[in-house]
Amino acid sequence: METIEVNERVKKSIANVLKIGTESIADDANFIFDLGADSLQSVLLVASFEEEFDIELDEDKALNVQSVSDAVEFIQEYLD
Amino acid sequence: MSKSDIHKSNFNKIFYPKSIAIIGANNVEGTVPYDIVANILKSNYKGIVYPVSPREKSILNIKAYKYVIDIEEPVDLAIVVFPSSVCNLVFEQMGQKGIKTAIIISAGFKEVGGIGIEREKQIKEIADKYGISFIGPNCLGVINTDPSISLNASFARNMPDEGNIGFLSQSGALCTAVLDYAQSKNIGFSKFISFGNKADISEIDLLYYLADDPKTKVILIYLEEISEGKALMACAKDIISKTGKPILVIKSGRTNEGAAAAASHTGSLAGSDEICNAAFEQAGIIRCNDIMEMFDIAVAFAYQPIPENNRVAIITNAGGPGVLTTDALINDGQQLAAFSDETTTIFRKELPKTANIKNPVDVIGDARADRYNIAVTESLKDDNVDAVFVILTPQSMTEIETIAQEIVDVSKNSSKPIYTSFMGAVDVNEGINILEKNNIPNFMLPESMSKAFASVFKFGQLLANNGAFQNINKTKKNSKKANNILTEALKDGKIFLTEDKTTELLSCYDLPVLESYVANSAVEAVGFAENIGYPIVLKILSDDIVHKFDVKGVLLDLKSKDEVAHGFSSIIENVAKLAPDAKIKGILVRKMIPEGEEVILGIKRDNSFGPVIMYGLGGIFVEVFRDINFRVAPLSPSDIESMVLETKSSKLLLGARGRNLKDVKSLYSCLAKLSELAVDLPQIKELDINPLILLDENKGCYIADAKIML
Repeated sequence: METIEVNERVKKSIANVLKIGTESIADDANFIFDLGADSLQSVLLVASFEEEFDIELDEDKALNVQSVSDAVEFIQEYLD
Repeated sequence: MSKSDIHKSNFNKIFYPKSIAIIGANNVEGTVPYDIVANILKSNYKGIVYPVSPREKSILNIKAYKYVIDIEEPVDLAIVVFPSSVCNLVFEQMGQKGIKTAIIISAGFKEVGGIGIEREKQIKEIADKYGISFIGPNCLGVINTDPSISLNASFARNMPDEGNIGFLSQSGALCTAVLDYAQSKNIGFSKFISFGNKADISEIDLLYYLADDPKTKVILIYLEEISEGKALMACAKDIISKTGKPILVIKSGRTNEGAAAAASHTGSLAGSDEICNAAFEQAGIIRCNDIMEMFDIAVAFAYQPIPENNRVAIITNAGGPGVLTTDALINDGQQLAAFSDETTTIFRKELPKTANIKNPVDVIGDARADRYNIAVTESLKDDNVDAVFVILTPQSMTEIETIAQEIVDVSKNSSKPIYTSFMGAVDVNEGINILEKNNIPNFMLPESMSKAFASVFKFGQLLANNGAFQNINKTKKNSKKANNILTEALKDGKIFLTEDKTTELLSCYDLPVLESYVANSAVEAVGFAENIGYPIVLKILSDDIVHKFDVKGVLLDLKSKDEVAHGFSSIIENVAKLAPDAKIKGILVRKMIPEGEEVILGIKRDNSFGPVIMYGLGGIFVEVFRDINFRVAPLSPSDIESMVLETKSSKLLLGARGRNLKDVKSLYSCLAKLSELAVDLPQIKELDINPLILLDENKGCYIADAKIML
């Protein structure tokens, strides 16, 4: 899958979980610091990525992913 | 500029900020980020509040900012409530914004290990880069009751009343319990500070801040670990001698694991808690066993003057509690005042015939306010009285509130301390409220009243003579030679010094060792004995044997050639049997020391406080009797004197039951030399001098046996 597509679908998942518009999500945005995710939402984000891409992520590693760009890179490893 | 100087210049912005940004705030009631904002507003804070939240437009009707750098006005203090994973981003923005102080409430740092340690390191580096001072992380926050700022920057439920007690705590959760307890006792605070992991601002920085704070009269501190014991001692001494403010400490973790594994008597006896006690004692710090005791002593300091002497008048309406108080007072080393004739005459005239007009004064169970008034007023006037204890038990006719008010009024005209114990709970409650709200300390039990008084008096004596903080005298020594002995031993992989090397090293510090000779045969041993003169001591010399008595490697009081020759052979046989693998280097031949009092001296090295000196009753039963005392080196003359005289067995040295006086001066000199040796030679892990034989007055002392562990 192309990086650009992964990026778009990651942002879509984030927008759904955090209930914000995709246009307000920058590529390097930090889930907590820039987008205001709380701890529950951080867990929901991991679940949302798994559902969106139909993959199973290592939960510990996934929870350490903190930004949009990190998430894209992390998910792409699973897709490759 | 040192880190401490940076903190000092920043402290005003932490405790008196003109503006605060709460970074990571939210609108979810009952969460820490929300409650912090709510508490600041509820406390009637006199500055400006800027909530910073990536998603909220406003919090509690105050405009919120997405980033702290979006705030146009200057910000004095940042309170960080974001998760630990993004605190580095927060600190970078704070640096860019020019914010110089922060309180990090968030947990998830050093205390969780792993990545938390890395995160704490990261924020420290950013703080250093921008000259930011911060409290925390992992803390409850800070409260300043000063009405000029009125700030509750914490997630404690309530803002305490204004008072003159400053409280520091390493534990956040304990703070809320303390606040709740203090509220029930009408105790107010000047500053209330939870410092958590103390990654940047330490308890020592905060102690100095409270020492300089004009609103703080008494400093309380709860510590879980002491990482810099020496620095804490120096800081406490400095504060006490310069400001006269008492420092009360609760130090948790009284267990002594590890001490049992030590190789020497000193090592096994000197647990971390004993060392902590010794260090606090030397530094003038008052150690409390629990929260209740801490506040009992704190209010005594905070509300009442320090007495000039310790002659106490006890006024009671019940005989039993009067006797209990007397017992407690005497047990705590205080005195019962003897009233002047004038006072006695007034009591005889004004109090009922059935009253006991001698101390403790019993105004009888049916006493109303007038009798209390006379007894308290006249006692305070008496030059033979330094303090008054008032005890009240609630009888049906006892005018509890009126008596409380009378005590308050009388105390206003006196410079002597008044303590009360209105005994009970429900009936006396309103009276106690009157007392506490008017700065008369009340104690649930007479025993705690006596203990608090004793602590205050002892501290007053320390201030009066500044005796604990004397200079250290230097002794004659050859530390270079001693260092060479140790360097060589370590190079050879030794873990303890042999007796001949131990003797050589101790003599470098002019410690009283007897000359000894190494014999490799019975004939040689006899030759040495003939030169030295009888009686003689023989001791096995081996790198592999620490406890010579255990392998029957010591023989005492040998009085002839034959005894020495036979002794030599039997030691060799014993050791061959009991320690067959030990490599024997010979047998030491030494003059037998005359009889005297056996004492033990020792050194142990503590991770936090450094070298510690032990003194006590010596001999093989030292662990059984544990009549020992510790002090942290270097020892001042008063440290030395007190560590000897505070042992029970000191009476044996001072001529108890017709014994001869021992040469205590030579003992003091040995302790001073040992202290210097301990400071100079960090290679020594543990040292035992057991026994040191103390001879009669002016006859000196001798080291009979010593061990040095490396």
